[in-house]
Amino acid sequence: MVAFWMLATILIVSAVWTVVAAKPVYSVVALLLNFAALAVVYLTLSAEFLAVIQIIVYSGAILVLFVFVIALLSSGVAPFATGPNRLPKIWMPAAAVVLAALGFLISAIAHAPPATAPASGPVGSQGVFGSIADFGKALFTVQLLPFEVTALVLMVAVIGVITLGGEQMREAGPRAQAATDRRMREAILREGKG
Amino acid sequence: MGSVAYPLVVALWLLPLAGAVLCWAFGPRLRSACGWLAAGLVGVSFLLAVASWGSATQNLGGVLGAHQPLVSWMPGFDFGLLLDPLSLIWTFIITGVGFLIVFYSIGYMDGDRAFARFFAYMSFFMFAMLTLVLSDNFVGLLVGWGLVGLASYFLIGFWFERRSAVAAARKAFVINVVGDVGMMFAIFLIVANVHSIGFGDVFAAAPGLSDKLVFAICLALFIGAAAKSAQVPLHTWLPDAMEGPTPVSALIHAATMVTAGVYLVARCAPLWNHSGSAQLLVATIGGVTALGGAILGTAQWDIKRILAYSTMSQIGYMIMGVGVGAYEGGVAHFFTHAFFKAQLFLGAGLVIHALHNEQDIRAMGGLWRRMPFAFWVMLTGVLSICGVPGFSGFFSKDAVIYGALQHGHPWIYAVDIVTAGITAYYMFRMLFVAFLGEYRGEAAPDRAGRESEHGTHAPGWVMNVPVAVLVVPSVAVGGALMFGGDNSPWSRFFAPLYGTPSSRAIAVPPISEGVTSLVVFLTVIAGFAIAWQRYASRGAQADAPARLRRETERMPAVLTNLFYVDWVIERLIVRPAQRLGELFGRVVDPHVLDGAVRDLVFWARWLGTLVRSFQTGLVRAYALILVAGAACFVVYYAVAAGLR
Amino acid sequence: MPVPTGHYVALAAVIFFIGVLGVIVRRNPLIMLMSIELMLNAGNLLLVAFARAWLQNAGQIFAFIVITVAAAEAAIGLAIIVTTFRPARFVDVDDVRSLHG
Repeated sequence: MVAFWMLATILIVSAVWTVVAAKPVYSVVALLLNFAALAVVYLTLSAEFLAVIQIIVYSGAILVLFVFVIALLSSGVAPFATGPNRLPKIWMPAAAVVLAALGFLISAIAHAPPATAPASGPVGSQGVFGSIADFGKALFTVQLLPFEVTALVLMVAVIGVITLGGEQMREAGPRAQAATDRRMREAILREGKG
Repeated sequence: MGSVAYPLVVALWLLPLAGAVLCWAFGPRLRSACGWLAAGLVGVSFLLAVASWGSATQNLGGVLGAHQPLVSWMPGFDFGLLLDPLSLIWTFIITGVGFLIVFYSIGYMDGDRAFARFFAYMSFFMFAMLTLVLSDNFVGLLVGWGLVGLASYFLIGFWFERRSAVAAARKAFVINVVGDVGMMFAIFLIVANVHSIGFGDVFAAAPGLSDKLVFAICLALFIGAAAKSAQVPLHTWLPDAMEGPTPVSALIHAATMVTAGVYLVARCAPLWNHSGSAQLLVATIGGVTALGGAILGTAQWDIKRILAYSTMSQIGYMIMGVGVGAYEGGVAHFFTHAFFKAQLFLGAGLVIHALHNEQDIRAMGGLWRRMPFAFWVMLTGVLSICGVPGFSGFFSKDAVIYGALQHGHPWIYAVDIVTAGITAYYMFRMLFVAFLGEYRGEAAPDRAGRESEHGTHAPGWVMNVPVAVLVVPSVAVGGALMFGGDNSPWSRFFAPLYGTPSSRAIAVPPISEGVTSLVVFLTVIAGFAIAWQRYASRGAQADAPARLRRETERMPAVLTNLFYVDWVIERLIVRPAQRLGELFGRVVDPHVLDGAVRDLVFWARWLGTLVRSFQTGLVRAYALILVAGAACFVVYYAVAAGLR
Repeated sequence: MPVPTGHYVALAAVIFFIGVLGVIVRRNPLIMLMSIELMLNAGNLLLVAFARAWLQNAGQIFAFIVITVAAAEAAIGLAIIVTTFRPARFVDVDDVRSLHG
């Protein structure tokens, strides 16, 4: 119970930090913390395999991808400055509605019947539920179709990314390449002066 | 039905349509061949009609004539073609006289820019007319009726560069549509009460209908007949229709269109036989038209308008004939009139063509020396139309006049005789002024047989032959067919349809037919004498230009204004309609209709602006709206759960 | 003492709404994408918690699939961001509004 509250605190704080951070890099760091804490939560819920996957895929792959993109865009002139805020005035009432909904949700959860303790049973690494063996068996037998569909989704994503990148490659002839190089040089020079 | 199918009638019906389509589609390529093509197809159609004689007069299983079903729609609504003695007579005239007129047009229209269009219209006109007379039901009749109106609109407005031609065409069309609407109401009444549109069914059911209903049907039908046949008060389009080329006038007046009303009454004889008041109405209107047309004819100077009023007057005779119940008499007058009126018009066309579209008889004179052929043609035509004994017109007119007495209408009999005298007066007036005396035209006349830039030029053989052919029936057909009362070939031809004339006569006339003929002849002589005295005698010839000018100046206003019929129609119908239109244009259209449309546009735009404001293009705004929507669901379920 | 499932649900709701607010408030597309990852993880947390509550591993497998799809989505999203914002002066989603009505 104590562990839950500690992890919950870490999760909420890191989430808030992710959202309010001034620079995307800080957001990435906060998100890393958030994902790590979530992996621990998964462990307490006896989802061992998912905890590992959470670390590998999210922390190892997705966040690294974010960092790469930040680096790529930072090579521009004014990387993360923003223009004027164009969100129309309706965001005030909308936010009020959202907050009200959140309040309702939390109050509903608080007033929910207390008898929601998890069922007891053989859990853990050697038990039946949540073990890697159990998970793997289910994934390749009962849930084979979703698994394969997921593979298809991944392939489509790969093709999409290649298509998007390929367009840029075509656009970027020697002239565009030269312009990019010049901009990078100028940025480096300015950094040096600053 | 007990009749045999007769596909030949379909062929003779569709051939003119084929001519119209071919001339219309390939006109520019065929050029002058168009005329020969159209004439040829109509000629074949005529030969088919002749070949159908036997089938049309047969009587199989109680059904007279050849019946060819075409389309079956629903019970009581079968469409088909019917060729019986009545429609056979009309088919003869439409295709036969029509053929001669089309043939003549090849010469008359030579050099016109729209040569092919003219023949397409002419063929289409004949097709429409054949549809009218061959249809075996009222709806098909109405279709033909409408098509004839449309074709006449095309032909009268053929020279659409002239404003007057366009106005005349429009007038003819509008008045014809008035008639179409009348016929439509008649068909409504028939369908509502008989549940069928076939002639046979309707006529079989006629005795069972109430007097008032039959009268209403006849009245509505006669509105259509009056509009098409130029009967008072719907006659005003006919003189204006002279704006078309002269062969068109010949076709419309002589062969086809204006006699459609006569056909309608003759076809619906079983209906008229059941309503004495309807017969009286038709006969009275016919009498008024005959007399009025003849009186107006005396005041005209345009050769074609004189003929137009004479047509109106003669149609009045026919309507009178079929109105009193002397159906074969009215049809006989139609038959002979078709010949001599076509001949008169084509003869007038010869003169007009030779004088380069001069139509005013005051600018003619002395033409008999330069155009002897035209003179003789016109003379025989005039003798025939006046009913000089021996000529065709005598027999048919006599049948009509005596029929009025036989069916107990002495007043109409009297009107007929007076009209005959006036007819003689104005027809001879036209002949004398145009052909006798000295030439008064401005264009220097030319010797016959040679063409020149100015003055007369004699028409070619293409125009002369049809006119010469027409002279034969207009002189002889009456004597050959209509002499002999009940035993004449004509009466026996129609006996299966109507019975013999004397068998239907309701009154024993106090005056015998011979005496009637004599009285008519005397009035004709009187009319001729007055015309001779005023226009052809030595004294009249001496100072003809001055006399004609004086007569023009002293013409009574009531005649130059054509009895003020146009004026009254203008005041009573056209002006109020215009006022109403202006009212709608000024008040209802901008403030009610346009206003409604504008309001609709305003609100649509307002709504669009409203919705458009959500399309900010900002991803975050979309996300916000999405979340707000989801939040609304959460609130809803939370509240619902709380209430429960 | 086991933690009641309701606690996990409340925690997931809070994280999810933090993600929502991030998407709405921030204008940097990268941070918006990260906020979306937060929301996905909140959903995953629910799946895993309920799987544990009922001892059914279907929830875990679904969470696994969500992770995979999230990876794909991140890859595509980042590619779009790179394509869209490399020539731009500012990295600001408000500048991308060709759907403006």
